[in-house]
Amino acid sequence: MAIAEVPRFVRADGPDKVTGSGRYAADINLTGQLVAKFRYAGVSHARITKLDTSAASAMPGVFAVLTAADVPDVIYSPVVPDRRLFAKDVVRFEGELVAAVAAVDAATAQAAADAIVVEYEDLPIVDDLEAAMADGSPLVHQDWESYAVTGDTVQRPNVASFSSIEKGDVDAAMANADHVVMSRYVADGCHALPIEPRAVVAQWEGEKVTIWTSTQVPFDARAGVCETLQMPASKVRVIVPHLGGGFGGKCGFHFEAHVAALAKAARRPVKLVFSRQEEMVAPDRRREGMIVDITSGVKADGTLVARSGWIAIDNGAYTADAAFFPQLAAMHVAGPYAMEAVKIEASLVYTNHQPSGSVRAPTAPQACWALESHTDELAAMVGMDPVEFRRANIVDEGIEGAAGQVYGEIGLRRCLDAAVEASAYGDDLPDNEAVGVAISWWPSFPGPSGAYIKIDSDGSGMVITGAQECGTGSVMTLRMLAAKELGMEPEDFQLVYQDTSAAPYDTGATGSQTLLNNGRAVVEGAREVAAQLRDLAADRLEAAPDDIVLASGKAHVSGSPDKAVSIVELAGVAAEGEMLIGKGSGTPPEYPSVSAVCVGDQGLAGWAGPQFACHAVHVRLDRETGVVRVLDVSAAHDSGTIINPVAAHGQVEGGIMMGVGQALTEGTQYGDDAKQRNTGLLEYKLQTAADAPTIHTEFIEIPDPNAGPYGAKGLAEAPNVPTAAAIANGVAKLVGMPVRQLPMTAERVWMTSEGMSS
Amino acid sequence: MTTSYELDVNGVTYPVNADQGKNLLSVIRENVGLTGTKEGCDDCECGACMVLLDGQPVNSCSYLAVQAQGRQVTTIEGVMDGPEMHALQRNLLEAGGVQCGFCTPGMIMSAKALLERDERPELDAARIGLSGNLCRCTGYAKILSAVEATAVELNT
Repeated sequence: MAIAEVPRFVRADGPDKVTGSGRYAADINLTGQLVAKFRYAGVSHARITKLDTSAASAMPGVFAVLTAADVPDVIYSPVVPDRRLFAKDVVRFEGELVAAVAAVDAATAQAAADAIVVEYEDLPIVDDLEAAMADGSPLVHQDWESYAVTGDTVQRPNVASFSSIEKGDVDAAMANADHVVMSRYVADGCHALPIEPRAVVAQWEGEKVTIWTSTQVPFDARAGVCETLQMPASKVRVIVPHLGGGFGGKCGFHFEAHVAALAKAARRPVKLVFSRQEEMVAPDRRREGMIVDITSGVKADGTLVARSGWIAIDNGAYTADAAFFPQLAAMHVAGPYAMEAVKIEASLVYTNHQPSGSVRAPTAPQACWALESHTDELAAMVGMDPVEFRRANIVDEGIEGAAGQVYGEIGLRRCLDAAVEASAYGDDLPDNEAVGVAISWWPSFPGPSGAYIKIDSDGSGMVITGAQECGTGSVMTLRMLAAKELGMEPEDFQLVYQDTSAAPYDTGATGSQTLLNNGRAVVEGAREVAAQLRDLAADRLEAAPDDIVLASGKAHVSGSPDKAVSIVELAGVAAEGEMLIGKGSGTPPEYPSVSAVCVGDQGLAGWAGPQFACHAVHVRLDRETGVVRVLDVSAAHDSGTIINPVAAHGQVEGGIMMGVGQALTEGTQYGDDAKQRNTGLLEYKLQTAADAPTIHTEFIEIPDPNAGPYGAKGLAEAPNVPTAAAIANGVAKLVGMPVRQLPMTAERVWMTSEGMSS
Repeated sequence: MTTSYELDVNGVTYPVNADQGKNLLSVIRENVGLTGTKEGCDDCECGACMVLLDGQPVNSCSYLAVQAQGRQVTTIEGVMDGPEMHALQRNLLEAGGVQCGFCTPGMIMSAKALLERDERPELDAARIGLSGNLCRCTGYAKILSAVEATAVELNT
């Protein structure tokens, strides 16, 4: 490890979190604060024929009631702008906002929201992906052709974004295959489900608004407020107190503008706190349901020659950030395998469901589950061991992937070897136990990011960063990087973060990008300060700046540790004149080019800093009930250099547990009315400590020169990708065939084992 | 209907004026003014609101505050031993068992109750003892390690 001199230290925000003194957004209360409540559509597709807020507005204690008529008429969302803050004319899913109320207390606000009169004329419900794509289907968006989509985005009726990846002649290659295997897999949607329901507090002072909010992306949240309320960024400040988890569910811009608009209209601070049920229904960040058809051609010797795929992804009623999902899903159905020809088409299909959006590795766990289940079917077809089949067909250094990217040194093969070796794969096991294996990949997302670094007159350091901490450990890692560059200790630095008025731009806690992008910015800023320290020390020590080494809180002459001056002393000198201040924004790694033809290209067919993983999962099946228990997970990950082992292990363990949930219990159930039926934690089952498997993690550390600091790649999403797939392959061994629906609930497993279609 | 009563929270007696139907969680957060106890579901499912009532873990979202009269309520703010962290708090930090931290207060309350009724819980007993507290970040591994480390530390 390049930076393992500091093996572990306590996270900066840790003491606040274990003692209860840490403030989350719902813990903030302001003098004169009102309570916000929303009026939701409550129906999945209907035309608004009457909307009357007069009774609500007249209620004592009600300070503001807002509808679409009270805010600028802005159609927003990145890439595919297709929604407004409040429904105008038509509601398209049950959790769509029709109106918002601010009142003196929660009971009054709720009573006022209930008193708003809304009448509807039903419109046909669109909730079947294949039917929605058929000619003549009712449309979710009548005006879809008028939306100002950006880039190369391709749209069709009821398809918000279509992408295809094509390389070589699939038909010819299939004709040359000895076996052709076709599979269909269907995944239910599910939820990010951070334990903290979101909260927003907004307060105006003159023309400026300050918003405290539980977002993973403060700068995106600010941009959303600016766009929808038509304000300059200089008038909007977004602050994130401690954030109680996100997993993508708090990415994007959600309700900050609604609360800000209420506070402006009410001339009072306004606070919104979601219930769990609202958290499940209203945000446009649900993990997408998906249908995956895969056909692969293999030679008798097990060589994969061609793959075609058709993918339908449930977009829900609005597109949020999901325009890139089809291309990403197509990449995951192609998978980290070499083949001469590939053609995969993917459509993001409008329905009257809650909108989908980026949840931890969007599209990937479902697509990987389909692909890797299919891969075990291919291995069985040619009579090969599934692990050997993978060894024969995976991408590796110098080998071209499905989209035509040629990889440098990568750790996929070593991940496969390590995870299988650490597991009970191949051991004699009881007849109700098996080990399933799956491999996966995931891109890193290069982007702009910034940080300032300074050292104060007493020698204490400060990292001022746009980065956001959602639990991943950037509060540890960014300080480690600054300390490493400056020869100081991580504890010497305080972190100023999660405030759009304090720090330069960062994308936020999204796309596993904090270390990759903000890490580079912090290193660059710290190196600027290091150069300033070396200049000062060179003067003092009568040496050349290039001969000054920063270590152990001192600047010393190279080769002469005794010829030294402390950084504290240098900081005191600097404070009298040219101060120790650095800035960094780093140069993002480049996206590699690909040879595949990409229709509806979203820039994600060539991956910078590709991450690789293999999970081998030991499962036990209760044959009488279909209940699957995950006993043990062996995980191996290539995420480049591991900077912070404590945080890295935490990401893998948490990602695996989320994957176990998606594999076995977590799935949204819909009624015929397209409304969710399981919006409480009693009906929507998360995994508990009692379900927790033993997890063995190994990191295959191959520094990636086209990635983050010291060759680090992202890690927060990758562990979530192959878990469900590996569990599925274990279950398929025990049941005798794959369970073709996700989650693989006890009922579905039992029905499959009994030969019934689930 | 508003009613007046006294509540013993972390050894301090607080006068409370609140609606009779107000739950213990809301009284602790709004009337007593301690926000370390969190609301995650209002449905007794997530455990973020766990407090101790005479040492027994209770989901405070589903417990009437008036019923806690005459009993000792312990919240996360009452776990520290003066200026020193409780071993559970320290071990959770050192093990890396805290990520977003939202489940942490409730988790600590359940773990404290567990260790008070079972000094050296077996791993399965610890898993079951914490199964009323949902954590989305950690996969529970490092939390269970911290509980085990605490059991060892407190009993050697």
